[in-house]
Amino acid sequence: MSRNMKTIVFVLILGTAFSLVLMSIQALTAERIEMNQRFAVQSAILDAFEETYTIANFADVFDETMETVEIDDLVIYVHEETGGVAFEFSGFGVWGPIRGIIAFESDFETILYVRVLEQEETPGLGGVVAEESYLDNYVGASMADGLVVTHNADPNLDNEVDAITGATRTSESFQSILNNTYEEHKTAWDNREGGD
Amino acid sequence: MKKLIRMRYTKWFNISRDGLSRNNPIVISVLGICSALAITNRVDNALAMGAAVTFVIIGSSLIISMIRNFIPTRVRMITYMVVIAGLVIIVQFMLQAFFPDLYSALGAYVGLIITNCIVMGRSEAFAAKNPVKFTFFDGLANGIGYTYVLVLIAIVREILAFGTVLNYQILPDTFPTWQVMAIAPGGFFVLGLLIWVMRDLTKNYDEEATA
Repeated sequence: MSRNMKTIVFVLILGTAFSLVLMSIQALTAERIEMNQRFAVQSAILDAFEETYTIANFADVFDETMETVEIDDLVIYVHEETGGVAFEFSGFGVWGPIRGIIAFESDFETILYVRVLEQEETPGLGGVVAEESYLDNYVGASMADGLVVTHNADPNLDNEVDAITGATRTSESFQSILNNTYEEHKTAWDNREGGD
Repeated sequence: MKKLIRMRYTKWFNISRDGLSRNNPIVISVLGICSALAITNRVDNALAMGAAVTFVIIGSSLIISMIRNFIPTRVRMITYMVVIAGLVIIVQFMLQAFFPDLYSALGAYVGLIITNCIVMGRSEAFAAKNPVKFTFFDGLANGIGYTYVLVLIAIVREILAFGTVLNYQILPDTFPTWQVMAIAPGGFFVLGLLIWVMRDLTKNYDEEATA
């Protein structure tokens, strides 16, 4: 009995000690982690509209240059100077969520900038979806009639973009994430109160 | 010279030789190969993973060595798991807070350090029986032993799959890159060849163990 008691006391002390340590580490880092996440989204949007900022003043620059429009649950960011728009997209890839930002010119059709902030695709294959050199292929494409990500993209068609070699399913997922979120945000934008 | 010869018989020398070559966790014990296959297609990922695992091995070994006389035998595995899981979560928080880019590159694999058999193996085989000073050194030796094997595999794979090392172009653009090297099967080929070479060099054969 005393041996059992000793075991129980040991487990209780161990569990409590580690919970306390983890709780304090979480409390200490929570603010920084949240700041990093905000920085990731806002700095990507600022990059899209070629605004200059530093890690110290990005939040101020963002407030000054971007207007945040909330329509129902959707958030659309408008660049006050050019009228370009941006939003955060997310959806499921092959292995896990894919999340990022996409920016358009003021027509809300022509892609200006795409960045993937979070993905869990196969490193080196589907993972290419987060690489800037790949995402830059999307610049200039038009999403008005839906984007087509294909292995033999026709350079003359402005809604076709090259797929990732060896990662057909990631390419397909990425295509539908972009198309679905675009549709959603564009519809909300067109029907917003006081819209043009 | 005499000092050097005497060094060969010290515990310090033996511990580091065990971790680095004679009982290298990956090539001899064949532990922790899941991560060795998963994240070794780029050298920077291999380095980051190696550093994270080394930290967790040293940290968990130290804590377990400190409390080794209090751990009831029946719950020792659970104790190891609590200590290791706690440290891995700390690593996760720290990466998210201070190295967000690295954290997004490693993704799910940071959490999977918990299941890395090397960490558990060192706790059970060494930390639970040895004083703190040797335990620290053993953790370091095993961590470095793990890291350098990861980096070796990653160098071969990154060159063949992308033509780069640490994202610097090494091979000319005309070189046909091997897609297979970027995915896990490529890791298997390289790891298999590496284990063969390392065992041949260290004269470590399974037949000897059984004879």
